[in-house]
Parts: sequence; structure tokens; C-alpha cells
Amino acid sequence: MKTSSFTTQGQRKSPLSALQSLKPGVKSGKGKKRGLALELPLTSLIDAFSIIVIYLLIGTQTSGIESDIPSKMSLPTAANSLSLEKEATTITIEKGVYRLNEKIVSVNNLAAELRQLREVNKDLPAELIVQADQEMKYQELDPLLKASALSGFEKMKFAVVPEQ
Amino acid sequence: MSNHDKELNFELNILPILDILSVLICFLLLTAVWIQVGTLDTKQAIGDNSTAGAKNPPSLLITVDTQGTLQLSTRDLPNKKSFEERISASSKGVNWEVLEQKLATLRQEWPEMKTGIVHPEAQSSYGDVIRIMDKLKQHQFEGVGLSPLG
Repeated sequence: MKTSSFTTQGQRKSPLSALQSLKPGVKSGKGKKRGLALELPLTSLIDAFSIIVIYLLIGTQTSGIESDIPSKMSLPTAANSLSLEKEATTITIEKGVYRLNEKIVSVNNLAAELRQLREVNKDLPAELIVQADQEMKYQELDPLLKASALSGFEKMKFAVVPEQ
Repeated sequence: MSNHDKELNFELNILPILDILSVLICFLLLTAVWIQVGTLDTKQAIGDNSTAGAKNPPSLLITVDTQGTLQLSTRDLPNKKSFEERISASSKGVNWEVLEQKLATLRQEWPEMKTGIVHPEAQSSYGDVIRIMDKLKQHQFEGVGLSPLG
């Protein structure tokens, strides 16, 4: 079985085959039309690619769920952390801006929005994943604590980077 | 066969396509940032969790000020005992070594104390607060909570 795509088919001349005469190391036969010198080992290339794809798939697979973190955010570190295993409501605090599931919410509306979310997603656990920068001041977290207490979120999960 | 058919017959050179694809994969792998994120769980008291009349379990309250000075005080210990300790901040902020020593001492002395509450000031660092809660969890404090500002 030929694996090359550069094959001469009968008397037909491929436009690409003309290029071969320009390549170094490929001599054009006198009188007799030579076949292509280069046989591309496609099978081994596909093998290598499939190994890379499988490696990536396994390597990026974790037991928990995926979560997007703002690129400029530096999460605090903790040695005693648990992995994220269930989907939950996520709130991101960045420079005084509160994002509830990617949607910007003002501080005054935080409790109302959380309560509404709690009523809509009753099947989700009453948990809140908090993503905030470690340099943040506690006063920025305080409105969230009060709003979550008012809206019935009893468990706060602070996103951290596990300490090695 | 017509001349038209001959012109259409071409062969695709896939070698440069594979080259481009492999370069793209390498580029994506190098630029992507993979971080495994964990969570530090706390259970907050909500409005309808009042325990009026019930006996409160022994707990430890850690107050954190802006500079990183800590004040450890116990609540509801058996036999009306109490423990108060102040941990001065080091040049780098919170004095973590001393905090660990004190928590280990408290754990030895009162193994039944399982609740730890962190009460930071408004200007305290969130990173420090999380690390204090982490230290509490490391010393077998099962119920770790945060106290809101007054």
C-alpha cells in the first residue's frame, strides 16, 4: 500500500511533481520519468499526533470541575484545601467589582441577586465559590458575607491555590 | 477524458499543514496556564440558625488587625477557664511560627475546642485571613468561620 500522496498516476503529470525537479537531492531521470524520491511516512506522523492528543486529554483531566480565573488575579495559597467537585455559584471580587456568575452586580443589589439566584437554582447546593485576590482588603469581602447570610448561602468556598 | 478534468487533478501537500499544526499545538501548550484550584470551606451562620438557650461549644476567636497583630481569645471553655494571647506582628506581617505554636498548645490543652472564628479588621489582608483559617484547619478546628465587620 502506498502512503505517499505524490504518486504518478499513469501518464498524468501532477503539478506538484514538477516542483520536485527544483528540490535538491531529487535528480530528474533522462528520458525516463522517475517516481517521486520522497515517500512521506504519514502513518508514523499520525501515530505521533494521536499520542500527543491522548497525552493532552489525560493530562488535563482532573477529578474536579473547571473554573476560569481572571488572569491578573493572584489567589491565596492554602495547605488544607479541597478540590472543586460540584458546580456552584461563583462570585469574583476584583478591585471592588463583584461578578456573580460573570455578571457585574452592585454591592447594594448583592443580597437581592443572590436570593433570586437561590430561588431559581434550588437544585444547586447553597454554596458560594469566592474568587478574590490575596492582596484584597477584608472590607471588600464583608458585604458579600452579609449578603450571603441574608440570602441563605451558608457555605463559602474560598478559591485557593493548593500549597505544594 | 477532457482537458478540463486534467486541470482539476491535483494532489494536496499535507506536510506543511502538519508542520503548521504542530507549531500551533506547541504554541497553545506553551501559552496556556494550568492551575489546579482548590477551595477552603467555611460554614457561615445564616439568619435562621439561632441557638438561643443552647450551650455554645468552646471556640477560639482570632482578631486580626491591619499590621498583622493577632489576638487569640477563647470562649465558652469548660470550668469557666479563659485564654487570652496577643501575637505581635513580625516585620513581614503575621507571625506565622508563633501562631502555629499557640494553636498547637491550645489543641493539646483543649482537644474539645473545634470551632475557630476569624475576626479581621476592615484593612486586614484577605490573603492573611485565608492563611489563618488554613492554619486553624491544619490544627483540627473543624468549624472555621469568618466574622463580618461590626
